[in-house]
Amino acid sequence: MRFFSAIGWIVWKDLLSELRSRESLSSMLFFALAVILIFSFSFSTDEEAVRQLIAGIMWVAFGFTAMIGLGKSFAIELQHDCLEALQINPVPKGAIYLGKLLANLLFIVSVELLLLPLFVIFFNLDILAKLPVLLVIMVSGTLGLSALGTLFSALTVQIRAREVMLPILLLPMAVPVFIGAVEATRGVLGGEPFGFYRPWIDLLLVFDVIFVVVSYWVIEFVLDA
Amino acid sequence: MSSPAIRAELISKSYHHYQVLHELSFELEAGTCYALFGPNGAGKTTLLKILATVHRPSGGRLAIMGRDAVADREAVRLQLFLIAHGSHLYDELNAVENLRFALGLRGASPADREIKLALDRVGIGAFADLKTRYFSAGMKKRLAVAKALLVRPPLLLMDEAYASLDEKGIALVNQVIRDATQSGAAVFMTTHDRAKVAEVAHRAGVLRQGTLQELPLEALTTSDALF
Repeated sequence: MRFFSAIGWIVWKDLLSELRSRESLSSMLFFALAVILIFSFSFSTDEEAVRQLIAGIMWVAFGFTAMIGLGKSFAIELQHDCLEALQINPVPKGAIYLGKLLANLLFIVSVELLLLPLFVIFFNLDILAKLPVLLVIMVSGTLGLSALGTLFSALTVQIRAREVMLPILLLPMAVPVFIGAVEATRGVLGGEPFGFYRPWIDLLLVFDVIFVVVSYWVIEFVLDA
Repeated sequence: MSSPAIRAELISKSYHHYQVLHELSFELEAGTCYALFGPNGAGKTTLLKILATVHRPSGGRLAIMGRDAVADREAVRLQLFLIAHGSHLYDELNAVENLRFALGLRGASPADREIKLALDRVGIGAFADLKTRYFSAGMKKRLAVAKALLVRPPLLLMDEAYASLDEKGIALVNQVIRDATQSGAAVFMTTHDRAKVAEVAHRAGVLRQGTLQELPLEALTTSDALF
C-alpha cells in the first residue's frame, strides 16, 4: 500500500511544483513553437512535402520538447538536497521511479495536447476523425521516451554535464520509439487502413513494456548505489 | 535485552584513496543523546550520513535498532529520521504541503490538527500556508524539526543541530531532544556549540583525523579547546 501511495505523492508533488513554477512548461512551449514555426515556413507552399514530413516534424517537436522536461525531472531534486531525502526514504526506489515516470508522462502528454492544435493550424491538418488513434500513438510514444528519459535523468543527475549527457544517452536508445511513433503517425495522418500501421503501434507498446520493466529494476542501483 | 539504537563495529570510509573514517566502533543506547564534535573536515557529516544510510561504509558493520544498515536498509530507514544541512524542502510547496509529502512517503497521513500542533510548537504556525521558498534558514530548520516531531523516529540524527537557529530555536531543539530521549528515542547529533549541547547530551565524543574519542561530559563546559 505504501508503494502505491508513494507513487501518488511523487506525482502530486512534481505536478504541483511544475504548475506553480511553470519552469519547464514555458521553455518546452517556446521550443516547440519555434520548431513548428520554422518547419511551417519552410514547407508552407509544398503540400506534398508537408504530407510526407508532418509525422517526422511532429515527433521532432514532441521528442525534443520532452527532453527539456525529462532533463529537469531529477535535477529539481538537487535543490536543498531533496534527492538525499528521497534516497533515504523508507520506500522502494521503484516507487520513486514510477511516480516520476507517471508525472513526466502526464506533463509531457499535456504539453503535446497543447501543441496539437498548432500543428492543425500551421500545417492545415484534418485530424478530428483520427484523433483517438493519434492519441494512442502519442501516449505510447511518450511513455517510451519518458521511461528511458526518467531513468537517464536519475543516472545523470549527479553529473556536472547532465544537460549534455541526457540527450547523448537518450537519443540512441530511443530510436525504436521514434521510428515506431513516426511510422504509425504517418500511417494515421496519411489515411492508411489501421492494419497497415498497427505493427508500428505494437512495436511501440513492446518497447514501452521493455523500457519500463528494465528501468524499474535498474533504478534501485542508480538511486541507492 | 534489546539491541542498542546504533552498533558500529570498525566502520571505515574512504573516498578515492582518502581515508575519512578509520575503524570507528561505538554503541548508542536507546534514550541517550550523543553529541559529536570535531574540526571541519574531520568526517562528522560523513559518519552521520553513514548512520542515515545515505552512504555505505567502506568497511565494518553497522546495525541500527538491531538491523543491518546495509543489507536491511529499507527497514532501517523506517527507524530513523535525519535533520540534515540541506533543508530537504521543495520551494514551490508550502510548509503544510512539504510536511504532508515527507510523511506521505513514509506511509503516514497525520491529521490537520497534528500538523498544526507541530508547526505551532516549532513557532512557524503562522506561516503554514507560505511557500518555503520564502522561508529563512532558521524557519526551514524549524520545519525540519516539525517533521521529526510528526515522524517520532526511534533514532533521530541531526547535522549541525543548532545551525541557523536563534536562541528560542536552540531552546526548542533542546526541548525536542529531551522529550525524544525521555520517550526512549536515541539522538545522535553533530554540533560545534558545546555549551548548548551540554544541557541535553548524555555522552559526547570528538572525531579527529577519522578516529573517535569519547569525551567526559565535563569537557563540554570547560573553556579548553577540544581540537
